[in-house]
Amino acid sequence: MASVAAWLPFARAAAIGWVPIATHPLPPPPISKDRRKSEDEKLLINVSGRRFETWRNTLEKYPDTLLGSNEREFFYDEDSKQYFFDRDPDIFRHILNYYRTGKLHYPKHECLTSYEEELAFFGILSDVIGDCCFEDYKDRKRENSERLMDDKLSENGDNQNLQQLTNIRQKMWRSFENPHTSTSALVFYYVTGFFIAVSVMANVIETVSCGIKPGRSGTLPCGERYKIVFFCLDTACVMIFTAEYLLRLFAAPDRCKFMRSVMSIIDVVAIMPYYIGLGITDNDDVSGAFVTLRVFRVFRIFKFSRHSQGLRILGYTLKSCASELGFLVFSLAMAIIIFATVMFYAEKNVESTNFTSIPAAFWYTIVTMTTLGYGDMVPKTIAGKIVGGVCSLSGVLVIALPVPVIVSNFSRIYHQNQRADKRKAQRKARLARIRIAKASSGAAFVSKKKAAEARLAAQESGLEVDENYREEDIFELQHHHLLRCLEKTTDREFVEMEVPYNGQPKRPGSPSPMASPTHSTASNTGLLQACCGRCCGQRYQVKAIRHDPNFFTDQCAPFLCTYIYLHSFSFFLYSFPHTPHTSDDDDNNIPYTISHVFSSDDRRLITFFN
Amino acid sequence: MDKINDLDLEDLNYQLPRRHRTEELAKLANSTKFTRKEIQLIYRGFKQECPTGLVDEDNFKAIFSQFFPQGDASQYAHYVFNTIKQGQNNGKIGFEDFLNILSRVSRGTVQEKLQWIFGLYDLNGDGLITQAEMLDVVNSIYDMLGRNTEPQVETTSAKEHVEKIFHQIDTNKDGVVTIEELVDWCLQDEKIVQSLEMLDTVL
Repeated sequence: MASVAAWLPFARAAAIGWVPIATHPLPPPPISKDRRKSEDEKLLINVSGRRFETWRNTLEKYPDTLLGSNEREFFYDEDSKQYFFDRDPDIFRHILNYYRTGKLHYPKHECLTSYEEELAFFGILSDVIGDCCFEDYKDRKRENSERLMDDKLSENGDNQNLQQLTNIRQKMWRSFENPHTSTSALVFYYVTGFFIAVSVMANVIETVSCGIKPGRSGTLPCGERYKIVFFCLDTACVMIFTAEYLLRLFAAPDRCKFMRSVMSIIDVVAIMPYYIGLGITDNDDVSGAFVTLRVFRVFRIFKFSRHSQGLRILGYTLKSCASELGFLVFSLAMAIIIFATVMFYAEKNVESTNFTSIPAAFWYTIVTMTTLGYGDMVPKTIAGKIVGGVCSLSGVLVIALPVPVIVSNFSRIYHQNQRADKRKAQRKARLARIRIAKASSGAAFVSKKKAAEARLAAQESGLEVDENYREEDIFELQHHHLLRCLEKTTDREFVEMEVPYNGQPKRPGSPSPMASPTHSTASNTGLLQACCGRCCGQRYQVKAIRHDPNFFTDQCAPFLCTYIYLHSFSFFLYSFPHTPHTSDDDDNNIPYTISHVFSSDDRRLITFFN
Repeated sequence: MDKINDLDLEDLNYQLPRRHRTEELAKLANSTKFTRKEIQLIYRGFKQECPTGLVDEDNFKAIFSQFFPQGDASQYAHYVFNTIKQGQNNGKIGFEDFLNILSRVSRGTVQEKLQWIFGLYDLNGDGLITQAEMLDVVNSIYDMLGRNTEPQVETTSAKEHVEKIFHQIDTNKDGVVTIEELVDWCLQDEKIVQSLEMLDTVL
């Protein structure tokens, strides 16, 4: 029995609370008490010799997989009264558990391709794999596809959900943050990148020598020779940067937060020297300060970090490895002080020695510990040489220790970043599925109501109606009765939702799975007519009866042709092509069949609605 | 020696996690109005949804919300949850409580049902329903409809509804509804008594 169905009696009981305030009396229940539900039966499944048994209802939880639908009848063996599958029994265990618990697990020791083949055979989409195993599965899949040199990693994380942004500000902000959203954003991105590069190059080339200073000794740097050119270049770059900063400031949703962020401070520091320089006259007092300011222009290179995610991650790593870096610095400082002191006292008595004081010896220690060895300061005594040797050996150790920690931190954060992107894509897809399922379940109720209205209309107009129906799913009937009671209590009617088409590119050759329900009911009625033509020999007209207060107070006899309706609905679903689902999980992968949308932790409500 | 004492102390403080044991099937069949087979069916589904045998409020809200896909049933579920006595399971309901309420409300006498309904509307448990309390509950009922209804649900719909009904139920016009007033109101309308019987479920 579908487990959520166990709570239907409770939900219906809780609905008693509506009775005192109901605007209309509640409709009678669709089933009389003496009608019994058909007993559930156990099915025997033989997979390559290993026998599995399960309730029929467990399998029918997912009606558009192989086991949950009529397709399993192809594998029924009359002689042994069991379903025989000539497939891998180990993997089948996981597939059966999916029906039982709603969670599809991926066994780590299995080969990815064989697992995917089994899933495809049994009609289960791989995006219902549970959260616990999903990452593993995704990682393996990525390795696989990379190995086959068939890179399926899409970068659609940014292309999802092109919401309608109402104002210019939001649009601008989004195009600043994600350059891939539109062409103009991309152009802006590259232009600013180009100007950053130009500005940095100009700063560098300014100092290259371009000739000899006239009348004086020394070379003339290019900056002074082509003063005007460089000034114009600098001005242009600063114009662009200022414009960019102001635009960002305008578009930012939270201006104070933006002004305090690192990138904006870098922007300000990059352009400030120019403006301050404009203000300062050629005064000797402040020209020293002016020169210092020009140093700050090199900060423009940090603007590249908006353009490179790796750089941002590096910065973030350094920030998060602050403790390891601190340890590194501290241990180095300790070692430097110790060795410098010893060196100083060892070399003190050498005449004309370089080791004039302990701080002077610091330089020697640093150069030795990092194994640079410039050779400007060299010990001359034997004791000094021994200490120098020990110093260089220990330097290697002290520096080598914290570095792997920092490297592993970097790698961890980098992978975490990727994982976060993967998880985001999966969550978006899952939310989309839940939305579709809700829409479809609501739509199913409304369509059922329409079908009942149609039948009643046919009855009223005197058409002969065939009393041909089979055992209806009583839980579905009772659930719909509950919703009708809610309608009666509040004097409102449920109508169809307009399921929005989310703008994703359609795959060639498949209809959009999120066709609006009006379209689906239209085709359903077409099929209804076709099916009913076969079974009932009549044609119905679907007349939408709204606001007929007397409608439901009549005795609602069991739905006729609901059986046919069910079949036509499932027909509608089968008519979608089933292609194996191998690409990555993101918003592009809307499953074709509306009912098969639930993954591991989504509820199995879909048992009601097919 | 000291080490052993420390271990003992730790053992004393360590609480073994205890499994919640549900009542026996026979006892439940006797104390509620369901047959053995029905209880078996209900329990199997219950245990599948909640393997530990206890439902907490979030779980309950999630399960309840699935029956009303177009709207938001969490507030109504909250009020329903509060009517279920939790006993000793600190905020979670066990199968016995669940079955008890189910039996009383769907198969009980009219008096029991009305008692439960009164408990539902009386949010603070003081034995009186004020108009504000009724408004809260009716709001939660309207929330379950969602947006796709005809006519649309306005923010004032619930208020209007309550104002219409409250005056009719509150016969002595003292601004509060007592259990007797509610019972009288429900019993005097034949349709309401009939409606109370419409919500049993066939298993």
